[in-house]
Amino acid sequence: MRQSQAAVLERYRVLEGDFATEPYETGWATEARWFVQVLRASSPAVRVVLTTQVSPDGLHWCDAEYPPQVCEGEGMISWPVREFGQWLRIRGSVEGDEGSVKVQIYLTLKE
Amino acid sequence: MGYSNETPLAGSLRRAMLDADPALSRYNPLSRILVFDQFNSGTHGWTELIGNHDGEGNLDTVDDHMRDFRPPQLSSCTFFDVGTHGAMTGTYALKVATRPLAGHTAVAIRRLTMAKKGLVQFETYFTYKAEAASEENGAARKAGAGDWDGNIHPSEQQFGAFTVATDICDDRGVRYHCVARYQNTDLQNRFTRRWMYPVVPEPTPREHLEGKAKLAATDDFTAPNPDDWRYFGEPQSFCYNEVPTKVNWHYLRWQLDTERQRNVELQVNDRVYDMRDVPVPAYAERYDSLDNLLNFYVSTRTHTDVRNFLFLDSVLISVDW
Repeated sequence: MRQSQAAVLERYRVLEGDFATEPYETGWATEARWFVQVLRASSPAVRVVLTTQVSPDGLHWCDAEYPPQVCEGEGMISWPVREFGQWLRIRGSVEGDEGSVKVQIYLTLKE
Repeated sequence: MGYSNETPLAGSLRRAMLDADPALSRYNPLSRILVFDQFNSGTHGWTELIGNHDGEGNLDTVDDHMRDFRPPQLSSCTFFDVGTHGAMTGTYALKVATRPLAGHTAVAIRRLTMAKKGLVQFETYFTYKAEAASEENGAARKAGAGDWDGNIHPSEQQFGAFTVATDICDDRGVRYHCVARYQNTDLQNRFTRRWMYPVVPEPTPREHLEGKAKLAATDDFTAPNPDDWRYFGEPQSFCYNEVPTKVNWHYLRWQLDTERQRNVELQVNDRVYDMRDVPVPAYAERYDSLDNLLNFYVSTRTHTDVRNFLFLDSVLISVDW
């Protein structure tokens, strides 16, 4: 049986402008999948641009080799990542109309 | 750790069998091991604590101070200076990590029930750290950071407190919390290094719904008023080991008596604190849906805008029933 874990990194959190999720340790896992659920957008034109970041130490970060993901308006998007090393997080920005979004962000991990 | 109905020979045999297992020989369990969680093999039921929500599943109805206790992490104890430190047992420990926000608390909980009243014992090997400084987190310039004197590291005063606690409810709906908190620094980031306990029960979601309590996001959920805490025992220093990137594991053994609704004693390395006279206030109201509740939680609380971490190598919970 392979180990797995789902973590709620943001829960009903309102985001605006630039943000980053809290560092999360993933060294034990082989594969991961992000789920970003936009529960409410301040307007349909608001977009959230999400970039996966990796880190060797939880302190210093760079973008992973994955294209940024874009969520327009409300709904949920998901993308897989692999070969991510010790830590994962999302660097993101809320764009359009100086708007805001309320989100739930999950990181799911599997051995 | 004898067992009340045990003959001396049976006790010696039981101890000998524990000693034959390298993983168990470092523990002192009561007669029945309820759980033995080695985090090198997963989270073993330790999960994020969250407040209650309404019938629609609307998490906006979760109390503000109970909706961001952070998911526990399986940590290889990896640091910027040496890479992977590893745990006491294998590579991974359970890490409970706060946000870098003064007053933020992270909480992991283990949910069980009681098959009988009696002695219950929680044991763990733990360590705690404040996050090392980086340009991005700016920890070196945050409250609590002082000068480096080559021995005491500035980050040590940026670790606030960690807590071991329970949520217990008997079969008549009488609910109470046994709590032991190690306060490393006070709210002004000065070393106190004292053990403490609250003299009031933790505010609950029901009390909020009934208009009796409303806490802000970073209020201390265990007991929000600092005046409701009392020190016990003399100050105790630990092996922080000078920098935020060296991990030394400490032994903790905490025994409770669910028949008497009291703490018994707390052992942390070479100190044993008699907690029999520590008051454990029960809620005035009775609780339904919690029959024989036996929850353990661990938390860490930062007193400055720096992440605080509590690491557990393993946990053993045992009972005398």
